[in-house]
Amino acid sequence: MRIHAIKLTNFRQFIGEQTFELRSDSLKPVSLIFGANGAGKTTLLNAFTWALYGSMSDDVEKQDRMVTDIVWRSLPIGGSTALAVELTFDHEGHDYRLRRHAELRKQSDEQHRPAPEIHLWETKADGSSEPVGAPQERIFSILPRSVSRFFFFNGERIEKLVQKGAYSEVQQDIKALLDLEQVERAIEHLPKVDRRLTADLKKHGGEKATEIQTAIDEMQELEASNHEERKRLEDDLVTLAEERDRVTEFLRQHASAAPIQKQRDSVAEELDKARTARDEAIMERASLIASRGFLAFTDELAAKTADMAKALYQKGTLPAPLKREFVDQLLDDGKCICGTSLAEHTDSWEHVKAWRQRAGLQAVETAWQQLSGQIAPIAGARQEFSESLQAIVRRIATERERVERLEESKSELDGQLRDSRMEDVQKLEGKRIELDGRIGVKQQRIGSVKTALERVEKDITHKTVERSKAEVTDELAAKARARSDLVQSVLRALQEILRIRSEDMRSRLDAELKEVFAKITFKRYIPRLSEGFELALYQDVNGVELAVAKSTGENQILSLSFVAAVSKLAREIRKDRRVEGELPDDAGTYPIVMDAAFGSLDENYQREVSRALAQMAPQLVVLVSKSQGLGHVVSELMPYVSHMGVIVTHTTAEGDSSEEIELEGIAHPYICASAEADHAELKVIK
Amino acid sequence: MTTAKRTEQDVLQALTDEERALLKRVLQIERARLHVRAADLTDDLLGAVREILP
Repeated sequence: MRIHAIKLTNFRQFIGEQTFELRSDSLKPVSLIFGANGAGKTTLLNAFTWALYGSMSDDVEKQDRMVTDIVWRSLPIGGSTALAVELTFDHEGHDYRLRRHAELRKQSDEQHRPAPEIHLWETKADGSSEPVGAPQERIFSILPRSVSRFFFFNGERIEKLVQKGAYSEVQQDIKALLDLEQVERAIEHLPKVDRRLTADLKKHGGEKATEIQTAIDEMQELEASNHEERKRLEDDLVTLAEERDRVTEFLRQHASAAPIQKQRDSVAEELDKARTARDEAIMERASLIASRGFLAFTDELAAKTADMAKALYQKGTLPAPLKREFVDQLLDDGKCICGTSLAEHTDSWEHVKAWRQRAGLQAVETAWQQLSGQIAPIAGARQEFSESLQAIVRRIATERERVERLEESKSELDGQLRDSRMEDVQKLEGKRIELDGRIGVKQQRIGSVKTALERVEKDITHKTVERSKAEVTDELAAKARARSDLVQSVLRALQEILRIRSEDMRSRLDAELKEVFAKITFKRYIPRLSEGFELALYQDVNGVELAVAKSTGENQILSLSFVAAVSKLAREIRKDRRVEGELPDDAGTYPIVMDAAFGSLDENYQREVSRALAQMAPQLVVLVSKSQGLGHVVSELMPYVSHMGVIVTHTTAEGDSSEEIELEGIAHPYICASAEADHAELKVIK
Repeated sequence: MTTAKRTEQDVLQALTDEERALLKRVLQIERARLHVRAADLTDDLLGAVREILP
């Protein structure tokens, strides 16, 4: 498949009809298209896949808004407009024109997801066109949808191609790409042919031949069910192996996180203690204040009381020796201590009674005595309270600081643990052991099914030989038997060819991948494509091969190397001498269309990847921004460039946001500000 | 019946002329109709067998 041109009609931001020529040759296979961020590079990439398959990648937002916004806005309600992408290309000696098209009628301002129609025409040498029936199926046969991800991709996302779990899918895709599908289908279809033939044999072949054929039929049924079971078991095995890989990864994460986890547990325990100690200290302070807090206010009170008592004594207001009870006794006795009678209301009685008012109570005196005795200790108690309070406040401050410090430590450790899934190690180990066990059982079962298959294959061969020797008098039956023998032989040969091709394809892809990867990277890593199609990187450390933990960048390089290797092998494998006979020169040729082509690769990798792709891809369309594309990329690609263009951003933004891009010494518009409407223009430069 | 060392050519050479012819024809038929997944090719393949062994 070689793309000649793409034509967009009101496709997303590409207003009106816009065409870009892409026809190139092996000397200059590259088309280079520049565009600012948001200009429409991803949209252009998706225009290819939309035309081919009617779908766009998940990273395209607002997939309902397929028609250019300004076109839709200016369309009156009830009016209609066209949306289309047209691709012209050739494939294996045939020229094609593919058009996916929808006529959208405006019913409201909101756009509705279009239901496009696909048309495919084959263009004849005389220029006439002939529509292709089942156009989508033809496209699928030219480039299966699953395989298209190797050829139409976003460089920033391509590392997903080599992530864990992707390989079984990749294996299927590659099989479809590298000419194994027709063999698989033939293996699927030939038994049906054989059954039709042997039906004649059973009908007319006589007793013996019929008996043998019935036995063969039964064996073939057993063979088919064994094949199905093997496939099911192998699928199960892939699932189990992936699950085990995940569990192993968790365990690995757990092992690396274990010391941090231990530290975190210890910090958490200490933090609990610190919080308890802080809270206890706060409670103690509260209790101290509640019970002895009044002492804080006794400083002046004690002094004042002492002064007041002193003053009262000095004034004689407190007649300390004379007690009221003594005066009352004199009054009750009616006789003073001097012998004077104290009759009521006499002068003497009134005189003594007046002393009663001046005399103190015993209790009051005692209280005064006690109080004055306590004034001195109050100062001591106050001092003691002050010291206790200060000590508790210091303790609270210390515990608070400790809590804060431990909270910070715990927070830091939690952050380190956040990305690692903390599960119980024993549980994980148990799961791994269980999975190992289940995998072992599946492998054993696959082994026995394989043995059973080999046995039944031998039995069928044996019975087929027996059948060929059986006496068959009927001419039709004899013919049917000969034809069935022929079909059986071809079926066995195809099964062997499939096995040979699969392994040959994998080993060649592995070799190609190693070569491409070595050209690009400066690290001494070795990629390997395992029998299960798992891509891994290894490093030779003193003669020991160790798996390399790949970074995003390395995954991107590995993926790009894989794409380049697949692209090269798809072409080469079809040039081999094959039973299918000669294939067209361009068989296995596919374009590579890359958005954000070099992802986040360093400059030196950008240069090497550019060089490798330009040399290996039969047709390469690179969509890049100015910052990514200028410099090493342009200098590497320029000798191979046949077409160059710019997706010019027309923006309604005011001001000084216009920009130009200089290509081969000439400045071209890159961003044009103050436009009437936001849209993109695909400008041809070369 | 299969060893990993054998090549595709080895397999082909071990076939008779009729078998080789049928194998080639079968793959051509399958390849030509790869794009029509729902196609029932039994009749086409049976036709090929009958052509080779009339």
